[in-house]
Amino acid sequence: MMVLPFIGLATSAAAILAGRRGIAIGLWLAALFGTLALFAAHATSTLNLDF
Amino acid sequence: MTLLHARTLNALGLLGCCAILLVAFGYQLLLGELPCPLCLLQRAGFAASGFGFALGIRFGPRPSHYGIAILGALVGAAIAARQIALHVVPGTGGYGATLFGLHFYTLTLIAFVALIGAVAVLLLIADTDQPATLPGQGAGLFGTACLLLFLGVPLANAVSTAAECGTGLCPDDPTRYEALDAWLAR
Repeated sequence: MMVLPFIGLATSAAAILAGRRGIAIGLWLAALFGTLALFAAHATSTLNLDF
Repeated sequence: MTLLHARTLNALGLLGCCAILLVAFGYQLLLGELPCPLCLLQRAGFAASGFGFALGIRFGPRPSHYGIAILGALVGAAIAARQIALHVVPGTGGYGATLFGLHFYTLTLIAFVALIGAVAVLLLIADTDQPATLPGQGAGLFGTACLLLFLGVPLANAVSTAAECGTGLCPDDPTRYEALDAWLAR
């Protein structure tokens, strides 16, 4: 699941290189919503590590 | 500001986002600092913000492209602020190494705020009378190189995230590449 925003953003970067602006923005939007959804899932995360 | 200047500034903005992601990647690979879930989402925020600059390089600067950069930065800043809040109480420790005496999530919030400020300056000095793109004009060699780098950085992050977390959610306290170890143990 955590890999999805990066895949979406990499694919949107490829769409930019290919000159497909609409597809790129659509993929970016999906990746942004995915990031927000994952943030909601992890917003209560606590970290026990202390370096 | 000419179109060339605007594209160059967009390329510098994209390079800045890529540089931040590469530094974080360097700490991960060279110093063994595995990113926590919120750290990964902040990386996604930088990539999402850099996307606006990438659009500016390829299709010419537009207010909508700068808006995309700001939206990505706002999401990343919210995630960084959340992680700062997790550690803001004295005695709760921190996560990961420090740079210039600040943890990376603190530096990340500063960087996102600075990025929003930089985009505001770009909007201020933008010449809206110029066409967004000129006929036959692409991203140029430098711009294409920046775009290729921007393609590689999220891809590398995708691979490392897959190695760390597999197809599920990442562990809150990552200590090893769980998915990679499980795959190698087969």
